[in-house]
Amino acid sequence: MPAMLSTQPHGLPHPHMQTEQGPQQRQFNPYTENGGTILAIAGKDFSVIAGDTRQSEGYSIQTRYAPKVFRLTDRAVLAVNGFAADGNMFVKKVRQRLEWYRHAHAKDMPLRAIARLIQTMLYARRFFPYYVYNILGGIEEDGSGAVYSFDPVGSYEREACRAAGAAQSLVQPFLDNQIYFKNQTPAPGTSHPTHLPLPTVLKLVIDSFTGATERHIEVGDGLEIYVVLAKGASTQALEGIRGIQETTVTNDGERVFIIQRELKKD
Amino acid sequence: METSFALTGKGYVIIASDTTAARSIVKMKIDEDKVKALGPHLLMAHSGEPGDTLQFAEYVERNIRLYNIRHNYSLSPSAAASWVRRSLAESLRSRHPYSVNLLLGGYDVPAKEPHLYWIDYLGTMSEVPFGAHGYGSYFALSLLDRYHNPDASLEEGIATLKRCIDEVAKRLIVSPSKYTVKVVDKDGVREIEV
Amino acid sequence: MSIMEYNGGSVIAMVGKECVAIASDLRLGNQALGISSNFQKIFPVTDRIYLGLPGLATDVTTLQELFRFRVNMYTIKEEREIQPETFAHLVSSTLYERRFGPYFIEPVIAGLSQTPSGGFKPFIAATDLIGCLNFAKDFVVAGTASSKLFGVAEGLWEPDLEPEDLFETISQTLMNAVDRDAYSGWGCVVHVITKDKIITRTLKGRMD
Repeated sequence: MPAMLSTQPHGLPHPHMQTEQGPQQRQFNPYTENGGTILAIAGKDFSVIAGDTRQSEGYSIQTRYAPKVFRLTDRAVLAVNGFAADGNMFVKKVRQRLEWYRHAHAKDMPLRAIARLIQTMLYARRFFPYYVYNILGGIEEDGSGAVYSFDPVGSYEREACRAAGAAQSLVQPFLDNQIYFKNQTPAPGTSHPTHLPLPTVLKLVIDSFTGATERHIEVGDGLEIYVVLAKGASTQALEGIRGIQETTVTNDGERVFIIQRELKKD
Repeated sequence: METSFALTGKGYVIIASDTTAARSIVKMKIDEDKVKALGPHLLMAHSGEPGDTLQFAEYVERNIRLYNIRHNYSLSPSAAASWVRRSLAESLRSRHPYSVNLLLGGYDVPAKEPHLYWIDYLGTMSEVPFGAHGYGSYFALSLLDRYHNPDASLEEGIATLKRCIDEVAKRLIVSPSKYTVKVVDKDGVREIEV
Repeated sequence: MSIMEYNGGSVIAMVGKECVAIASDLRLGNQALGISSNFQKIFPVTDRIYLGLPGLATDVTTLQELFRFRVNMYTIKEEREIQPETFAHLVSSTLYERRFGPYFIEPVIAGLSQTPSGGFKPFIAATDLIGCLNFAKDFVVAGTASSKLFGVAEGLWEPDLEPEDLFETISQTLMNAVDRDAYSGWGCVVHVITKDKIITRTLKGRMD
């Protein structure tokens, strides 16, 4: 009834009609935000990648244990944060590509190559992105600890440390201060260390997450810290740590460990 | 488009404002003086909603004159600025708020100091070494960050102001053609040619 | 465009051992454009109370003047200085008077209150823009960098800090938080209130 509509003032129902047949819009929102926070710090010959295990939607907690940090190879660990379904699917696809690489080349993909692979995979979905922030941590071919951080469409950068997710704004300025020594002046004749020792890094990671848990409702429940050690790096710092597990697969290369901690559940 | 700048120097404040009165895309007038002398040592550049600007500027001018007559004493630049700010802040939460942005500069005779206040229509006030309003501010403030010197002579101050005017003429799409420039120092208020 | 973020700016207050500290940035902006790098948002109320007023800049000045007036009237009528607890309630009720057309300010109060034995007890508080009081035992934050301030303060603060250590803690917290906030920064000011003196220092910060 286009002719009739044009004679009627818009929005007012016709006196003889039951209802106005106006245009209707339906929409399906394919994304949601599942909270949580991830964090990675690179050392001289190690890399630490951590994430909390709470998964939430709005004010509801869906589970208190949903890992966000995944071992890819013995030298690479990937943390994914944002939309959990996309995150899990993305990790699955990255692992598939790494397996193909292993079959084709009879070796694990180097870290910097994984980083570039992740960029390509993310940008491939430029117009229907994986709604996730990725942080890749591990050991480079030269034996140095590395952290690569990504945005959802694949812009990436190698850094010494990075926080992402719900509590990024709480954690990142703390890391700027404690890792990069921002706003701190070294005593005359001295300089700040470029790389921190592993025990210090582990303390900072735990402090960051307890702090974020205290002030952010989407962070808490559990903490998983992955530690990747370079080939031949000392395990001394990891000895005596409560509940530490090794998940290394190969023998003579880098080693991967997991530390699990409880966080407040309120 | 409407633009005004002001800067302090050694013992003086310079205030400049363009001279156009525009309505939409039409220039109605090209010789409007938008820098008012509020007293022997006080200047105020006003810009914003046409009508409001002149009405408010005259309201301020008359009230400051009234204070002068009643007390036989001039308000200091800081006191005048505080009074003007409060008028705007009260107007903001009234039924018809004034939309007027101001640069208020004066020479404090007893203290022998120049003062400049940046005031917007919300009643935000800040004492500044230099300030600007309008689209020109995006260019002028960067230049003033680089070239402003609180101890500059009047000639150097005028040279800095000219840089601002030239930059706006060069980069702003609809740039003003003419400015009124006034100076206030120990000798009082006067208009100068640039 | 949010009114609370129109001019930018942040304030933080912390409790120490027989001392308190309050600090803010010095930026005044119009959204992304910086106007002034010397805009004070913290004001002395008495010799032992400081008040921080982050939010809409016009209301910073209006409220500063209003509280000055009300505290002066209190002092004259009561013939004694106002105590921090009382002042906090004055702030709260003043803001609640404008419940349905509020001042766009989230005040932060820091002071030392007198105990019956003649000693001094640290006091901090903060309210939202309509005066809901928050008496915290450790630290309070407000302004455009509040989430960053929470994160850093939670990591750096510890109980019973001496004045100089408290100064360092609050300064580091503020500086590192505002460096991650586009609307705050352009220099900082810190006040440490102790029982016999006030330490005020202006800090140089990043100018971007």
